[in-house]
Amino acid sequence: MAADGGMLETTTFTLDGKEVTAKPGESIWEVAKRVGTKIPHLCHADEPGYRSDGNCRACMVEIEGERVLAASCIRTPSEGMVVNSASARAEKARKGVMELLLADQPDRADAHDASSHFWNMADLCEVADSRYPAMEENRIPLLDGSHVAMRVNLDACIHCNLCVRACREVQVNDVIGMAGRGHDAKIVFDFDDPMGASSCVACGECVQACPTGALMPSTVVDAAERGDRADYDREVQSVCPYCGVGCQLTFKIKDDQIKYVEGANGPANEQRLCVKGRFGFDYVNHPHRLTKPLIRRDDAPAKGLNVDPGNVLTHFREATWEEALERAASGLNAVKTDKGGKGIAGFGSAKCSNEEAYLFQKLIREAFGHNNVDHCTRLCHASSVAALMENVGSGAVTATFNEIENADVAIAIGCNPVGNHPVAATYFKQFTKRGGTLITIDPRANGMFRHAEHGLQFNPGTDVALLNSIMNVIVEEGLTDRQYIEAFTENFEAQKAHLAEYTPEAMSDLTGIDPQTVREVARAFAGAKAAMIFWGMGVSQHTHGTDTSRCLISLALMTGQVGRPGAGLHPLRGQNNVQGASDAGLIPMVLPDYQKVIDESVREKFKKAWGFEVLDTPGLTVVEIMDAVHDGDIRGMYVLGENPAMSDPDVDHARDALALLDCLVVQDIFLTETANYADVILPASAWPEKNGTVTNTNRQVQMGRKALDAPGEAREDWAIVVDLAQALGLGWTYTHPSEVFAEMKLVMNSLDNITWERLERENVVTYPSLSAEDPGQPIVFGDGFPRPEGRAKFTPASYLPPAEEPDAEYPYVLTTGRLLEHWHTGSMTRRASVLDALEPEASVSVHPNTLMKLGAAPGDMLKVETRRGAIELMARADTAVSEEMMFIPFAYVEAAANILTNPQLDPFGKIPEFKFCAAKLSKAEEVVAAE
Amino acid sequence: MPLDDTGVWKKGKGKGRPTPKGRQVDAAALAEIKDLLGDQPRRRDLLIEFLHKIQDKYGHLSAAHLAALADEMRMAMAEVYEVATFYAHFDVVKEGETPPPALTIRVCDSLSCELAGAQQLKAALEDGLDPTEVRVLRAPCMGRCDIAPVLELGHAHIDNATPEKVKAAIAAGHTHAIIPDYQAYDDYVAKGGYETLKALRGGSKTPDQVQDEVLSSGLRGMGGAGFPSGKKWSFVRAEAGPRYLAVNGDEGEPGTFKDRYFLEREPHTFLEGMLIAAWAVEAETAFIYMRDEYPAILHILANEIAKLEAAGIVEPGYIDLRRGAGAYICGEESAMIESIEGKRGLPRHRPPYVAQVGVFDRPTLVHNIETLHWVCRIAREGAACFGDHGVNDRKGLRSYSMSGRVKEPGVKILPAGSTIMDLIEASGGMSEGEFYAYQPGGPSAGLLPASMDDIPLDFDTLQPHGSFIGSAAVVVLSDKDRARDAALNMLRFFEDESCGQCTPCRVGCEKAVKLMEQDKWDSALLTDLCETMVDASICGLGQAAPNPILLTMKHFPEEI
Repeated sequence: MAADGGMLETTTFTLDGKEVTAKPGESIWEVAKRVGTKIPHLCHADEPGYRSDGNCRACMVEIEGERVLAASCIRTPSEGMVVNSASARAEKARKGVMELLLADQPDRADAHDASSHFWNMADLCEVADSRYPAMEENRIPLLDGSHVAMRVNLDACIHCNLCVRACREVQVNDVIGMAGRGHDAKIVFDFDDPMGASSCVACGECVQACPTGALMPSTVVDAAERGDRADYDREVQSVCPYCGVGCQLTFKIKDDQIKYVEGANGPANEQRLCVKGRFGFDYVNHPHRLTKPLIRRDDAPAKGLNVDPGNVLTHFREATWEEALERAASGLNAVKTDKGGKGIAGFGSAKCSNEEAYLFQKLIREAFGHNNVDHCTRLCHASSVAALMENVGSGAVTATFNEIENADVAIAIGCNPVGNHPVAATYFKQFTKRGGTLITIDPRANGMFRHAEHGLQFNPGTDVALLNSIMNVIVEEGLTDRQYIEAFTENFEAQKAHLAEYTPEAMSDLTGIDPQTVREVARAFAGAKAAMIFWGMGVSQHTHGTDTSRCLISLALMTGQVGRPGAGLHPLRGQNNVQGASDAGLIPMVLPDYQKVIDESVREKFKKAWGFEVLDTPGLTVVEIMDAVHDGDIRGMYVLGENPAMSDPDVDHARDALALLDCLVVQDIFLTETANYADVILPASAWPEKNGTVTNTNRQVQMGRKALDAPGEAREDWAIVVDLAQALGLGWTYTHPSEVFAEMKLVMNSLDNITWERLERENVVTYPSLSAEDPGQPIVFGDGFPRPEGRAKFTPASYLPPAEEPDAEYPYVLTTGRLLEHWHTGSMTRRASVLDALEPEASVSVHPNTLMKLGAAPGDMLKVETRRGAIELMARADTAVSEEMMFIPFAYVEAAANILTNPQLDPFGKIPEFKFCAAKLSKAEEVVAAE
Repeated sequence: MPLDDTGVWKKGKGKGRPTPKGRQVDAAALAEIKDLLGDQPRRRDLLIEFLHKIQDKYGHLSAAHLAALADEMRMAMAEVYEVATFYAHFDVVKEGETPPPALTIRVCDSLSCELAGAQQLKAALEDGLDPTEVRVLRAPCMGRCDIAPVLELGHAHIDNATPEKVKAAIAAGHTHAIIPDYQAYDDYVAKGGYETLKALRGGSKTPDQVQDEVLSSGLRGMGGAGFPSGKKWSFVRAEAGPRYLAVNGDEGEPGTFKDRYFLEREPHTFLEGMLIAAWAVEAETAFIYMRDEYPAILHILANEIAKLEAAGIVEPGYIDLRRGAGAYICGEESAMIESIEGKRGLPRHRPPYVAQVGVFDRPTLVHNIETLHWVCRIAREGAACFGDHGVNDRKGLRSYSMSGRVKEPGVKILPAGSTIMDLIEASGGMSEGEFYAYQPGGPSAGLLPASMDDIPLDFDTLQPHGSFIGSAAVVVLSDKDRARDAALNMLRFFEDESCGQCTPCRVGCEKAVKLMEQDKWDSALLTDLCETMVDASICGLGQAAPNPILLTMKHFPEEI
């Protein structure tokens, strides 16, 4: 690993007769590479995050005065050292090593990877065959074909350990080991279990790292286990469309299909990916793809969740784009005529590009003259943003998650990064491996708990009480950063007074966390040199979500943990572009860059830029819009890439609303549950089928590039929005997303110094970027906040119970969320073959003891009921949930968790309480399957 | 609203996993593990100790227990599994596999025992015992080469073993370690033991003074590397604390039994030497890594350390006795350190050296048992007790472990620089046949012919001959033996004990055995192989493993 910075001393030594200089920490191998000498290497990956291990001995060099040769990949030169990489002795040793390894390789003609790094290196060493006898047949491991996404052919394994480092040190998924000893040592998954039966999370890092083809993506090898990783026509670098981490990746395309995917070296992921980003792309080829515009048939049955997405012509008829757009425009216009513009609302999407989000909100505001435009940010971090805007003056993260590299303490609360931000989680886990103190706070003992120094599995819904008790200790024990409070904050005295009653002792019964632990956590956090706070939906999706976020902000402020390397507030954004869509103004209260519609000067500014008047009243939010439909105030909707028929709380209520609409225009790639209720369906492009920028959780604006053509007549979303705008009579003339981006820059200071051309060239720029060369600022607010006097604010928060607490009838707490494999409502991931195969069935996670109490076994069907409805689904025995709790992922239409959830809203963020409602649990009655 | 089946486009009923991914922890197994571990800290470096606890109590390591242990220690299952499967003394039993029988016999098949008929003994035992009740395994050297052939029945060693002795021992239930008579704490103290340590602690001499005495005595590392002991102290003392002391009691080089000799007689001389060295380098903790093949010594040390704690000579826990688990490579000092940290015994790359980066990445003084025995005596009696000896221009004393075809095998403490003829004479002469060849310092030293009988056997003197003294494990071969058989025995040992980390050793040992099993050796190929192993292996095992091949090709060409 090369350290950078010229502050430390360099080393001068002789390499192959020439004087060369090594930077601090640079290995002989790295210096040689830099000066143009390629030394063979196998176990050394020369990739970010991979430590040299020096085990293969293919990179031996001769050092004068040393008895034996040295592995150049792991040896750092010392001053005056004389190194020969090309001596006869060194070359002979390297050849000798290659010849030994080659003795046990499968024939090159049958290689699992014909273009493997191993064979390239054999060529480099000019070793084509081996004189040594091969291993006995019965000592060679057999094929492990148990995993749907990867093939394990250890007959090609050279014990280089790269997969172990990939799994244990880079991704820290801790599945792969090297078991046994000597030549019978063997790569194993857990206890030498089949990969498919192991705890493998299929991040595929091992496959990307393997230099021999022993580990390969299934899609790259044939039935005879032969394959070739270099067998593709072209590659396109882009961004992953799933979560907010924003991993850069490379599509390897063969015959206009994505053959496989590799991680690219983006700032957020450094080549890492998770199962979705690596193996979750064949949804783009799913037969359910919409390829032609559709119009609801006149003879269609009543609107309901009743359309088979594989056979849509029972309810819809195909139409031309002209007709479909005309129908959409006239349908919406009819509502406008009847009810006024306010009769129409729009849901844009955090899955589409910045340019598309921008165009969508502009269309609603321009065509219908109001602000009833929202998107799923309302269902995820609206409360966090409300608290951040209120107290910090900005809704975005103050530091990238990668800043944890510079932290010594971190809190991860109400988030399950191992499942929901898997690549961010790798950095958190690495942080703990380096000795960082991780404090995990969650009612579910999720995958981060094993790595945490303090794991606080507290009672759900008591976040504010717990955080106040932590802050109480910090204040009472005098651990606050007085200088920071003095210089950069306001209202601390009120906060201090407010905290007095929240002693750990007083809160302990409520939170379930003993006072001693609270004190230890408080001291650890307050005593940190640099500390970060990460949070997710477990914080935000509550009726007290804004209050909890306020507490987190206060905690960081009182300890001065903002605005420095390794310090900061980081709400982990969910969708790939929820940050960008919010920045672009897909929010009813604000215009692009969070400029408030109630602010007259803002409206003036936009009037100049846009040429029309923005309404001065905030629009309705997601859940409010559905209520307004029930009230008859909204009769038309334009939904782009959102699926409220799955994602809204009390989803039956939302579905009923959709059925009530006079005109519903849905733009999507599949016939989603929402599209079931549509009048017009506009077939759109999947992410790999278009160009556009997206902004991840780190404020990194990244370039997504088109890799494939959209199928049939499906079109890029931005183009459809433009055409619909034109059909609605707006004189829009955009012909490329770059033009949209250029317009956005006119009204969004956050994009200063960031241009489309720059993004095309550099792939990514973080905002704020201070110059045309500045890659962007990972940390903000080191010198004050975008608030009056530059001061952040303490807003005291009081504990309030969740809206619906368990009682005798509904004794359990139901919480909902995502699974690693399934994205949100499942419209993409359940159509991705690998992801579907890994998590094919709806399940409810229940503690084994609770199952026993119900007389049910793992795998049995359970019935879960709340005051909103009931579903039946499989029991998953999981000790991560407490005995009083259950967890249901909301991706499964056949057992939609949101039928059960409580639509009560946080008063500030207007976010529903997805994370807490009272539920009843019973064993489902046996029904004989009618199949 | 009731769901219409067509809108519910997907159902996975019956296909899902009823648990999270991978193995689940069995609640009963977890309770057993918690009970077994009691209130011991769940420190990662104690993993091997915990595995021993499970193996001792249940006779094997079941997958359920291993999964529970991983959970309890918050470790990855793979991490636990790779450690459990690295060491020969752990029996991992997965679901559906049959646990080993209650009784295990390990028959030593290293050179001296093989010369004494180990293979025939093992075959006879396999034929004569019920495999469902007793299993018979081969095992590497147990450090009892002077009483070969030997085997371990449970934890009882049977010397000069025969099937009859084994059956009698089984019938009598003699399966526990046999504790020899040794000098216990009281006797040692009565004879002035620990006075030197107390005086040093009281300031009678400075660490520098003792270090100089050790230096002037000429004492060098008796584990085999021969590094001047005093110099080692100075290196460790030059590093910032905290520092550690780690005692290498993993006497695994076949043919070596001198450490056992000292420990089974006067363990406190060693312990006092250790505490003097620990005092000199201000070690935070003194680790003793003792091989599992010496159960009696583990017992002795545990008892005597408890007495030291009781007597207030050391704080409880200051001496941390760790039990190996059957891996020769852990005699390599950096592999031993890895093992002390609870990991597989993979040697580390150098630099950095363990004196700078050792246990828990702290500066660590590593000493062999015998070395510390002499440290004590030098500190107590002065440098002359060691340094005034020596013949043939050599300095000091050597504890030669003599075995093979001699009449009176055993540890012979003789002047450094003694020749093989001196040693054979000290061992009562040849037991049978004519002197043909000898292993001068364990298999790593290879074999020399009888014609080379005038070389002073000491550090540095054998290097010109492609060999070295190592741990001074001398095995004498007669004209009834073949050098190539001995060499193959040695390479099989190395193949078995290679940790597998680096290619030249892992693959090289395996290929070497295959090539050496052929009637006619492919000398050119073996030479190339040896060169690769010597030049490119990470540690001494792979670098020295070719010595038996090279020396056999050089001195015994007619055999191959």
